[in-house]
Formats: sequence, C-alpha cells, structure tokens
Amino acid sequence: MGFEVPSEGHLHWTESEYNESRSAVLKTIIILSVVTVVEVGIAMIYDHFVPSGNGKIFINMFMAVASVVKVWYIMGIFMHLGHETKGFKTTVLFPFLFLIWAIIAFTMEGNSWNAMRGLLNAF
Amino acid sequence: MATATISHEQAHEHVTEQELWKGGRSPFKAGYGKVMMWYFLISDTFTFASFLIAYGALRFTMAENWPKPAEVFSSIPLEMFHGVKAPLVFVSIMTFLLIISSYTMVRAVQEGYLMNKKGVVKFLIPTIICGVLFLGCQYLEWTHLINDGVTTTTASATTKVVNFGQLFFVITGFHGLHVLGGVALLLWLMISTMNGKFDQVGHYEMVEKIGLYWHFVDLVWVYVFLCFYLL
Repeated sequence: MGFEVPSEGHLHWTESEYNESRSAVLKTIIILSVVTVVEVGIAMIYDHFVPSGNGKIFINMFMAVASVVKVWYIMGIFMHLGHETKGFKTTVLFPFLFLIWAIIAFTMEGNSWNAMRGLLNAF
Repeated sequence: MATATISHEQAHEHVTEQELWKGGRSPFKAGYGKVMMWYFLISDTFTFASFLIAYGALRFTMAENWPKPAEVFSSIPLEMFHGVKAPLVFVSIMTFLLIISSYTMVRAVQEGYLMNKKGVVKFLIPTIICGVLFLGCQYLEWTHLINDGVTTTTASATTKVVNFGQLFFVITGFHGLHVLGGVALLLWLMISTMNGKFDQVGHYEMVEKIGLYWHFVDLVWVYVFLCFYLL
C-alpha cells in the first residue's frame, strides 16, 4: 500500500496517505460486517432447520475460519500490523503458535476426561 | 566493513555512533510506547486464551450435557420483547456496537495523524458511546441470566451444568472489565485532546496506543462471541 504506518520520525500523514488509509479502513469495516452477518445468519438458519444438531462440526469449522478472517483484518488493517516492519510482525505473531498447541492439547485432555467419566460410572 | 555501514546510516538518520550503541535507533521503526502496548496486548491475549481454552476443555469433558447456546440465549433481555424467541439477535447487536466503535476509533487515529484536533474528538465521542452501550447491553444480559437462575454456583433448566455459568460470568466479566477500562482511557484521551495536550506534545501517538487497546477489546470479543454463542 502507498502509506506507511507513522513511526518515530514520521508521525504525520499527508492528505493522500490519509485518503488511501481511509478507503482501506472503509473496506475492512464492510468485510467485518458482512462476515458477522453471515456467521449469525448461518447459526440461526442451522438452529432453526437442524434441531437435531447433525453436522454441527462443519458449522463449527466455518465459524472458526470466519473468526480468524475477522481477527486477521482487525489486526492487519485496524491495528496497522500489516504496515509494521517484518521483525515486529514476527515478534507479535510468533507467540500465538503456542496457542495452537494449547488448543489441541487441552481439547484432547477434555475428551480423555469425558471418556474416563464413562469408565468411572461403570464401577 | 561494519563501521562503514553504520556511518552511512548515521548520515541518513542523524544518530551518532555512541547513541546507536545505546539503542539510539528503534529496530522496529516504532515508538517505545506503541511497542510496549503491543507486548501488553500479547500477554493479555494469553490470559484470555487460557480462559477460553479452559472453557473448551471443560466443555469437552461433558460434551453431550453441555447446554446449547441457542437455548440459553434464546430471548432479548428487554421488557418489550418479553417472551419473543429471537436467539442471537441481542448478542449480534452487541457485536455490531464493538465493530462500529472499532471503526470510529481507527478514524480518530487517522485524524490524529493529520493533526486534526476536532476530527479526533468527533470520532472519539461515538467510540465512547458505543463502549458504554455495550456495557449496558452486558448488564441487561447478565441480569436476564441471573433472573433465570444462572449464577456462578447454580444452573438453570437450560444451562444444566454449573460450569457454564461460572465460565460465562468470569470470561464475559473479564472482557467487560477491559471495556470499562477502555472507556475510562478514551474519556481521558478525549479530555486531553480537547485541552490541546497532544498539540503541545507535537503528535497524536497516544490516540494510536489507546486505539490498539480498544481494537484488542473488539478482537477478544470475536472469540468470546465464537465460543459462547456460535459453537
């Protein structure tokens, strides 16, 4: 993009940088709104037409991906992370890799507890 | 050689070699305060992530018995909508309040880079209003659930398990506390802007720093919304 994120030596924008950033932000707010409306719409339609809860896993996968898209845009455009230096992006984003491990580990742990509950009830 | 490179950059950025050895130049080309705000937000992400992962783990331990969000949040907690079945409607309004406030916040940051004092105040006001409205909605939602019998020690007929109430009130409460803190920071920011504090300082970086925090609050809500209402 044609504008830089203002930094120590460069804390002011020119009119053209301002306009460019403004249209980028307008595009982002539209994307965020549309994704949210689609998420809520799908959740409502699903709950209404599939009360049994069949195939919920696919709905969940869609919701998870849609949330990542929203966070990607909030961080990238609203928080200007997309315009920071490469080193800064890395230091901010790298720690989140640990969360992927944590999510997998703890959901497995939860599943295992659930399985053990059945075992305990047998006695 | 290395010294040659340094002296070239020195000429470019007007930093003496001695200042450079003391860290005279920011490796990230960003202000100290802004970098530290990001690091604070990373640590806060981990706090929220551990809450939400605990929610996931506990939910998996009782997969079949966990309440369905569409049943728990099936109505709008306002007198005039009493008895109307409208799952997700109220929380969608809350989500939109935060998205709109995120937009007005980023507009305020942009006006700050133009050194437009009036523009900053103009966009901070709707941001604060949206934050306060969000807190009001959360108050209604909590009151509604507590009247239904969902607390941190009891469960209602729809929530079935006590853990649901515990996790819901702790996580949304912690998020609400962040919103409250954000509203306080924004009020301070608005008053300081009106008093011309940042015109004296010469730049509006503080708007960007507090803006980062405010977007983070929105970002966490995306995941609270996902875990409690959509999954």
